[in-house]
Amino acid sequence: MNQAIVLEALIKTVIVIGGLATGAAYLVLLERKMAAWVQDRIGPNRAGIPLTDIRLGGLGQPLADGLKVLFKEDFTPAHVDRWLFTLAPVLILVAAFAAFAVIPFGSVLPVRSAATGTGAPVSLVIAPGVNVAVLYVFAVSSIAVYGVILGGWASNNKYSLLGGLRSSAQLIAYELPMGLGLLGIVVAAGSLNLEEIIVRQAAGGWYVLLQPLGFIVFVVAAFAEAARLPFDLPECEQELVGGYHTEYSGMRLLLFLLTEFLHMITAAALIVILFLGGWHLPGGLTGSTDEVGWFGALARVVVLVGKVFLVIVVFMLVRWSWPRFRYDQLMSLAWKVMLPLGMVNFLTVAVLEQVRWAWRLEGPYWTALLAAAAWGVCAIAVVLLAVAAPGVADNRGCRFTESEEQTG
Amino acid sequence: MAAVLLPILVLIVCAALLSVGMFVVAQLLGPRRVTKVKQMPYESGMDPAHDARRRFDFRFHAVAVAFLVFDVELLFLYPWAVANAVVNRDQQGLARVADAVAVPMWSPGLVFAEMLVFVGLLSVGYVYAWRRGVFRWR
Repeated sequence: MNQAIVLEALIKTVIVIGGLATGAAYLVLLERKMAAWVQDRIGPNRAGIPLTDIRLGGLGQPLADGLKVLFKEDFTPAHVDRWLFTLAPVLILVAAFAAFAVIPFGSVLPVRSAATGTGAPVSLVIAPGVNVAVLYVFAVSSIAVYGVILGGWASNNKYSLLGGLRSSAQLIAYELPMGLGLLGIVVAAGSLNLEEIIVRQAAGGWYVLLQPLGFIVFVVAAFAEAARLPFDLPECEQELVGGYHTEYSGMRLLLFLLTEFLHMITAAALIVILFLGGWHLPGGLTGSTDEVGWFGALARVVVLVGKVFLVIVVFMLVRWSWPRFRYDQLMSLAWKVMLPLGMVNFLTVAVLEQVRWAWRLEGPYWTALLAAAAWGVCAIAVVLLAVAAPGVADNRGCRFTESEEQTG
Repeated sequence: MAAVLLPILVLIVCAALLSVGMFVVAQLLGPRRVTKVKQMPYESGMDPAHDARRRFDFRFHAVAVAFLVFDVELLFLYPWAVANAVVNRDQQGLARVADAVAVPMWSPGLVFAEMLVFVGLLSVGYVYAWRRGVFRWR
């Protein structure tokens, strides 16, 4: 039975890793095209089929880039810690891949699985039925901090060390709001399993509608965890050259860059799975039960991947629309704004769920009423925040921190 | 449990093989030309004055400690959230289990109140840290 499990996992692993690696390569192209589109340029459009004049609008670019990196010198400077210098990119990439063990990329196939021996259908997730999936994703994505700080430390370069310190402080600071944003969902769903969280949303409404404040907190924290603009302090080319990967070149640099795109895919997938209903679409195209035909199973995969793709497009549009935070703004946003907001969200959801259970308030009417209450709390929190801390809300200078020095 | 976790091991081994393999292949294929200047740390063209690993700001340490405190406390709330849903959803089933192991049955209200006490204590710590300037960053 174990062999069947390993075989099934191996097949899914090859699909997932292949898909992710290819996807990340083409997301680089998409990002460059998007930048060009925002800035009214054309973007990469030369690389096509080699030895011919067919250009395919630049679709050959990722392949050309990959080959180029493969034949480049991967240089180890004399002043670095050789082992840690190599370990850092490998570790961070493995951790980024490992997160996808429990992230579903569809629902189930209408085929009985031979591996589990229970006659359950084949799940479209590498490790189905992990009952601590949410905690596992958290644990594994925390390892990224090690990769960053090892890379910065091993490089023995001032830019790298500063970048590594900054970005590790940022990553751990935003892990708290991320966890709090998620906590509301765990309270409502009563499960840490991502597949089950999707099923509950398919039955009882998407969590973005039921917990708007949690969605805001989680999305902001997800941007910061993926180190995307406006939170790309770890790299910030203009200040720290390249941050923790200043001294890297060739393939080890590629491993770091690949990891960044994997983190973006992870963040987008988590947003979709936790808040945007996963494979569920209203209207009955994808259904809401485990009994599904081939068409439904494939439709669910397409819907899930399509949603993830759309969220990634939003990530990229944000990158080319907003400037970067200053470091003190970044830290006060995490500790003084997002953490209390996450706490408010958690308490709101906990109280509303408790009310629902205590009086058995079932049905769409009560769901809508409780959602309205959550939206009300969200609106009040945002307004209060804007009144209490205008320096943060309008993002102008450091009035907020200055006034604090006078009082405290 | 091992059967559930086995696929994760498969994925991690595959990912490790892939990333180490990419590194090794690039090392074999790439050129290797060592020069004096290339060996130096990059500092935008200046000669580096000293080793990079010197004292750095204490606030990074303060943030790390604050993170540890709040994150570990946050971790307590995950089991609570799952247990709370179980307590609320399946009253009869839980009462049967409590009977079988001869443990007094906990009411949902008590489970909820316990969390509130915990969050209250957490908030006191949070306000204290804020007043002491742990989150001040300039």
